[in-house]
Amino acid sequence: MTLSGIRTMARQEFRVRLRTGRWRTALMVWTSVIGLFSLLLWSALQWLGVTSSIGVTMFSTLMLFVLSLALLVMPATSAQSVNGDRERGTLASVQVTRLTAADIAIGKFAAAWGTGLVALALTTPFAGWAVLEGGVGWLRALAVLAVVALLIGVVCAVSLAASAVFPRTTTSALAAYLAVFALSFGTLIAFLLASALTAETVQRTYGERTVETRVPQTHRVWGWLAPNPYVILADAVPSAIPAGPAGYVLGFEAGRASQYAVVGPVIDPMEWIRNGVRGLRVPPADDYGAYGEYTPYGDAVAIDPRTGEAEDGGPVWPYGLAFNVALGAGALWITVRRLRTPMEEPPGGTRIA
Amino acid sequence: MPERPPAIVARGIQRAFGRVQALRGVDLTVPYGEVTALVGPNGAGKTTLLLILATLLMHDDGGVSVAGHDPVEDPGAVRAKIGWMPDSFGVYDQLTTDEYLTFFADAYRLPAAAAARRIAELLELVHLTEYRHQPVHVLSRGQKQRLGVARSLVHEPEILLLDEPASGLDPRSRVELRDLLRGLAADGAAVLVSSHILAELSEMADRVVFVADGVTAGEHRLDELTPATHRWRIQARDPDDLAEALSAFGVTATEAGGGHEVELDGDDAAADLLADLVTDGVRVTAFTPLGRTLEDAYLDLTDDRR
Repeated sequence: MTLSGIRTMARQEFRVRLRTGRWRTALMVWTSVIGLFSLLLWSALQWLGVTSSIGVTMFSTLMLFVLSLALLVMPATSAQSVNGDRERGTLASVQVTRLTAADIAIGKFAAAWGTGLVALALTTPFAGWAVLEGGVGWLRALAVLAVVALLIGVVCAVSLAASAVFPRTTTSALAAYLAVFALSFGTLIAFLLASALTAETVQRTYGERTVETRVPQTHRVWGWLAPNPYVILADAVPSAIPAGPAGYVLGFEAGRASQYAVVGPVIDPMEWIRNGVRGLRVPPADDYGAYGEYTPYGDAVAIDPRTGEAEDGGPVWPYGLAFNVALGAGALWITVRRLRTPMEEPPGGTRIA
Repeated sequence: MPERPPAIVARGIQRAFGRVQALRGVDLTVPYGEVTALVGPNGAGKTTLLLILATLLMHDDGGVSVAGHDPVEDPGAVRAKIGWMPDSFGVYDQLTTDEYLTFFADAYRLPAAAAARRIAELLELVHLTEYRHQPVHVLSRGQKQRLGVARSLVHEPEILLLDEPASGLDPRSRVELRDLLRGLAADGAAVLVSSHILAELSEMADRVVFVADGVTAGEHRLDELTPATHRWRIQARDPDDLAEALSAFGVTATEAGGGHEVELDGDDAAADLLADLVTDGVRVTAFTPLGRTLEDAYLDLTDDRR
């Protein structure tokens, strides 16, 4: 594996991609969709009369939308990379050159990721617009972009591996989409089912009443949610909400009307995800009588009685990000192995050349 | 020229795909400076053998050495020395001919200046210079085939492995390909060509290796294959005159292909017969040697295996 070998392969992939004229159109459509979404979001917030920290809401929502769109589009760009070349009969000619399997795999990955980063770069004007609306620091904006960039890379690597493992392009595209689905929704489904299985009967005291309920012990199974790209993105970036008791997110205000007016509700979907997931790590409290109130989120979130803030079970993103980076690295390793020649078995049902 | 060890030595190569035994023990020697033809029916294992030699496929058993290296142990060293052209291949349609070859020059780690010179040279060699800045998809099938030949020569390999290179080529391009390969062999390269077009191979090859049912059925120098008797086809203005004269000379002839085919003991006998016919007043219009020796040998070998 050499840097020049990787560069040769990546440049070739990039050139071939760019020559198919549809790429211009695809990137234009992508930018238009993001732009239209930003405009509609901004208008909606104006129409609703949301005034406080509109930038926070815009940025947070926009980046979750960009992540969704990227998860949807990225498999299409790389899930047919290896087996497509094989079908077109261009792979073997490259494999007999001095380029190694790692040169080819990493070159292809770099081109796919690069394409994703170009798409991400095209969203920066809109992200910048949200930042200029105020409330989001540049550091936070950069952190969000970096995490999205990393997650795009993981999806590219997984899609590339699918294209190297499956001989048919339709199968590999399906496999790549299933992988994205498993990360986005599969983790949620697994978490919900797993947490149902952890339910224990607990006696709870609400003031003078004692109630027996089944309570899921989510602090034992929160790990299922960690690989979720939305969780990672929302949890990894520094909070946009000002610190202190006044910094409530919408939803917590319902039970704490007294502090509603201090800052006003800051609508931050990332903060919702972040608080929700971190709350899952906190073992459920037995005694709710301590501050005599039932939290709106029930068992999921315990409120610290001293500060009035949601109790923080600690960050989830390091685990999720580690999982995803390992997944991407593993996918690349599989791709390299499948590209290694001379091969023992030709990929099922296809000719090598 | 000092004696070099053969470019390719393969002994007892076996390879199975699942339950199908594609190669059951192929022996092959390809010397430098000569064109070796790999001949055999469809499914005989020619392509599989070339894939093994081209470092793309592992063999199950047997020993292979290409350019003095084991293609499994040290594929990189083999790749630097070989040029391989598969029987069917794709090109990057969106690239220009020049970009296509430049990519492969880079992939073979040629320095940029040397690459540009080499590409100009190759485009000239395969008569594609005028298409240099044209996208590959405008090329015809034969032109793409020639581009493939150029691609396999980018790094000036010492050993050429060509799988059915003549398929899809028009007659002129075939002649040019033949001359090109003969030229490379004359310059010292080892050339291994698989083909079905036997008449053409017999003009091009120095040696022939027959493969049938995954086994080497024979490895010969082409001149060894030349039998004691040759066949000739004779045509005349008046076929009856010709038939009469031939029987008068005591030559057995069979009518075929609009003329008479005769078997003669070599070139001298042929020259004598022609002189006799002309003296006899037969108006001979064609006197053609039939280059069927390779085909005959091929048919004999494949027939034995039924």
